[in-house]
Amino acid sequence: MTPVAIMVGANRIVPAAGIIHPLGNAELSAEDEKTLRRQIVGKALQALQTEVVQPTVFGSDEWTTTKPGGEQAGT
Amino acid sequence: MQTLRVVCYLNQFFGQLGGEDKAGVGPQVMPGAVGAARAVQQALGEAGTVVATVLCGDNYVAEHPDTAVAELLQLVAAQHPDLVVAGPAFLAGRYGVACGALCAGVQTQLTVPAVTGMHAENPGVELYRRQVYIVPTGAEATRMLDEVRRLVSLGLKLARREPLGSPTDEGYFPRGLTHNTLVDDNAAQRATAMLLAKLAGQQIVSEVPLPDFPQIPAPPPIKELRHTTIALVTDGGFVPQGNPDRIEALAATRYGAYNIQGQQQLDPGQYDNVHRGYDTTYVKQDPHRLLPVDVAREFEQQGTIGKLHETVYSTTGVATTLAHSARMGREIAAQLRAAGVDAVILTST
Amino acid sequence: MRLELHWSQVETFTAGTTTRLVGKALNVNLDELRALLEADVRLQLVRLDLTAPGDSCRIGRVVDVLAPRAKVDGGEDFPGVLGQLRRAGSGRTRALTGVAVVVTDQQLENPGSLALIDMSGPAAALTAFAHTHNMVISAWPAPGVGRSEYLGAIRLAGLKAAVYLAQAAGDVEADAVEVFDLPAPMRVPVTLQHLPRVAYVFQIHSHQRPTGIDEGILYGDPVRRMLPTVVHPNEILDGAIVRGFMGRHATTYAIQNHPVVRALYAQHGHTLWFAGVVLTVAQATEPERVRSACLAAGLVAYVLGADGALFTKIGGGAPHVDMAQAAAQCEALGVKTTLIVEDMSTDGSQEGMLLFNFPGLDALVNVGSGQERVMLPAMESVIGADDMTPTLQSALQTSYGSICGAIEQVGASRLMALVQ
Repeated sequence: MTPVAIMVGANRIVPAAGIIHPLGNAELSAEDEKTLRRQIVGKALQALQTEVVQPTVFGSDEWTTTKPGGEQAGT
Repeated sequence: MQTLRVVCYLNQFFGQLGGEDKAGVGPQVMPGAVGAARAVQQALGEAGTVVATVLCGDNYVAEHPDTAVAELLQLVAAQHPDLVVAGPAFLAGRYGVACGALCAGVQTQLTVPAVTGMHAENPGVELYRRQVYIVPTGAEATRMLDEVRRLVSLGLKLARREPLGSPTDEGYFPRGLTHNTLVDDNAAQRATAMLLAKLAGQQIVSEVPLPDFPQIPAPPPIKELRHTTIALVTDGGFVPQGNPDRIEALAATRYGAYNIQGQQQLDPGQYDNVHRGYDTTYVKQDPHRLLPVDVAREFEQQGTIGKLHETVYSTTGVATTLAHSARMGREIAAQLRAAGVDAVILTST
Repeated sequence: MRLELHWSQVETFTAGTTTRLVGKALNVNLDELRALLEADVRLQLVRLDLTAPGDSCRIGRVVDVLAPRAKVDGGEDFPGVLGQLRRAGSGRTRALTGVAVVVTDQQLENPGSLALIDMSGPAAALTAFAHTHNMVISAWPAPGVGRSEYLGAIRLAGLKAAVYLAQAAGDVEADAVEVFDLPAPMRVPVTLQHLPRVAYVFQIHSHQRPTGIDEGILYGDPVRRMLPTVVHPNEILDGAIVRGFMGRHATTYAIQNHPVVRALYAQHGHTLWFAGVVLTVAQATEPERVRSACLAAGLVAYVLGADGALFTKIGGGAPHVDMAQAAAQCEALGVKTTLIVEDMSTDGSQEGMLLFNFPGLDALVNVGSGQERVMLPAMESVIGADDMTPTLQSALQTSYGSICGAIEQVGASRLMALVQ
């Protein structure tokens, strides 16, 4: 949902671990899940300390501008 | 021309059953034009007869989202209408949403044309303009006769299956649908003219409506994290057991503020989730997957952050209108600011 | 630079024994032209078909359309691709109206992404190519010829045919001469210095698909990792830029008759000063996009000194955003922008039209929705697509984007997505 966050104008965006468990992952052990949560929250804290001028996604190397799947979006 | 059978839909107030005290009344039908439906009859003149007025309390519809419209549709269907006119709802949010929902149902389930009217900021517009023809009205009933005339006029066109013009010409909220049309000038010529107008400071009409989201200037970054108070907020539908603030599962208009002072973490047994937009199994199992209180406490205790704010905020972010979202955001922000909070981590699903 | 286009109007196009233009009748020795095109070892068979406006005919497997053009007085045609490297945009160029060269792709197994042209019926109103006499080139690859080689070969065939047809005009006096005369951007006469300076930012390729080595686009260069650069508008009108092997809703014909260049020229000296053209490519990664946007905006604002800029793109969603980033940077430097975009919605909804939202980008023109569906009637004959004849002969439902010329991202077309 990152593109929506961008479109709506959120300036500091951290991609989370999924819609049904943004700050966790039921497939991981409790220990690993907490580590994941610390990582994401840590990234959020980093973002809060970073200067931005427009909606910026933190922690992602890819700019998701095209719609998922489909020849049309990708061409 | 054949006289059309028209059914009107009104809420408890416009149907003259009472005020907020009667907002819980269930679906009912009265013969002929009752209350504000009389204005519809007046506007119809010889073209149609209001054979019945269907009424329902706004709270009843809001609290029985799955059944209320079905019950209303049964009452409407029994009248064999050629047209359904709902409202106008002006700025009354729950009324507008009810009108939109009913008209949408009338169209799809009864295949009968329907029309309604309300103010631009009524959440019913954002929810239903793509499916239903909605006529813009003022915020209050001050110019109702005029507005009902416009409502009826559009309704008659729909009932007679006459072709409709553009939203601006006919007077309804753009339904947000695009359609390819051949025009006289090519795009390059139109773009040149548009640029020249923009350079001259003239008003231009963009051929692509701009998204409704203005740019929000980014607040400056936190300089000293260890002196910062951070609050946690979510739109994931997190609520205490029993949902004491009755936060809606859909199209929320309410949010809750919940105290976590002294809590090292959230006890899943005390919390629940009302969000209808995703499978909430996992966040119910462990609410930290939405509100990372456990991890935030660690950061607080380590001194990484100054303080974890003692209140968490929550609402449901599915089909929440722009209007209500912005309002709730503003209200929460004001409360956080007053409490000395410096930054927020908002978890969104 | 001063360019003269010498136009001859063609009203009939027939196959005959001699290739020449007599009055408004174009006669072409198709065997001679076919032999010329078949000389390319990459091709084993070339077929040429003619079709006229009004014919009950559907051309299938269309990949590009070219306009007949030939340099006179020693100029080079499509320099770097067909002709030798020579600057385009000055001297005299022969051109024909009413005729186009249509290139089809006979190698692609799944032709679903290829276009069609209806010479009559409802689709005809949507495209310029239903109003030209079309010579359709169908060429088959020689054994062992790969994809890139084949595409290079058929494009070259199209370019050769375009030159051949224009040369048919020979020494016949032109019906009309168009002059494109534009001095260097800074040389503005005192009396015209009050005019707003307008630049055009032309995105000529999208790196969503990297170009092949022999896929020349700008003077034959495959523009891999091309950084923004500046050219004179005449170069665009005179063959310096051809469409690459892929290019959604874009034809070489539209570039040769570039509508933005023409529209700005039409206003030049009257309501604006045409400050020049910046060429860009849509980059594949964010850091490259940012760099490209930065350089492009710098060229527009500080080198061309533009007050306003008009933008077009090529390709799909990422180029759409790439263009917007360049425009947003221009706006940040005080340059007012107008963008020509395609309606990107996949469900006909207004919200899906745009994939960006940058401050200042409030002036948008759209070239319609390529996705919207349309019904087309049956046609008596099908050209260019033997294997698809039964399908293409019948009435069919297709997308507007499949009708070649109905949607041109450089702004040549007249379809517009209206929001209701």
